[in-house]
Amino acid sequence: MEQFLFFLLSLSAIAFSVGVVVVKSPMKSVLSLLGSFVSLAVIYLLIGFQFLAAAQLLVYAGAIMVLFLFVVMLLNLSDVNAVFDAPTRVLGQKRYAIATGAAALIGLVALFAGGSVQASESAGAIPAEGYDRIEYLGALLFSRYMIPFQASALLLLATMIGVLVLAKRRRDGDIEEVSR
Amino acid sequence: MMALLNAQAEVSAISNDHLLALAAILFSIGIFGFLVRRNAIIVLASVELMLNAANLTFLAGSRMHSTSEALNLDGPVFAIFVILVAAAEAAVGLALVIALYRLKQTVHLDALNQLEG
Repeated sequence: MEQFLFFLLSLSAIAFSVGVVVVKSPMKSVLSLLGSFVSLAVIYLLIGFQFLAAAQLLVYAGAIMVLFLFVVMLLNLSDVNAVFDAPTRVLGQKRYAIATGAAALIGLVALFAGGSVQASESAGAIPAEGYDRIEYLGALLFSRYMIPFQASALLLLATMIGVLVLAKRRRDGDIEEVSR
Repeated sequence: MMALLNAQAEVSAISNDHLLALAAILFSIGIFGFLVRRNAIIVLASVELMLNAANLTFLAGSRMHSTSEALNLDGPVFAIFVILVAAAEAAVGLALVIALYRLKQTVHLDALNQLEG
């Protein structure tokens, strides 16, 4: 049952991810990304990471998805589509991309299947309260990972300021100088 | 690493190999989308796909290295940091897309040829 659910969710995650890449309309593509995030969140739940599943739903399916949808809706999509349909300038780019993606897939599968990644005996057992018990996670974040934790706070601050500077509406004169 | 695990563990039917294979497939799809698509928004979405696959790998690694006496929590902690970086990256990337749209009235990456790359 559990395994069947996992395969079902894996299939939906893969299908949604393919949808992200293949679908032409940015709106549908981003909604497909949402499906991929939710499938992965349920997979996290299934393999015993309750907190990570919640974080995935809140941050990815909530915050990041709102950001993506906001930008897609903010921009004028009909114009975007007109340019999007133009042929790419770099010839044969799609072929290289397929080759790279396939090579990466084969390499990763070979790495995992080749036995260089070994599983311990306990691989099959899920602890009753899940792997990521939140009190241990918090203790670890505030002891061993204190400096990365503080650095990430700094990163968020820098991001906030950077986004403000980037997305700020400039005065009319500024744009004339730079464009074309 | 961290403390005890008193409760009886139920056996999970999902093997780590399957998790790693799924992560590999999702990552490859992300690479493919990153290279093929010319729409800046979709390129960012592909990056998010790849980060998600990396997260899944971290969690599979945590499962692998947890024993019944000691949980390995490095995987989930790193996954949390990855989620954080992904959020920051999406915010900055989409702000760049908006700035690009203001400048060029398009989000097509081939329109960015000012440096003659």
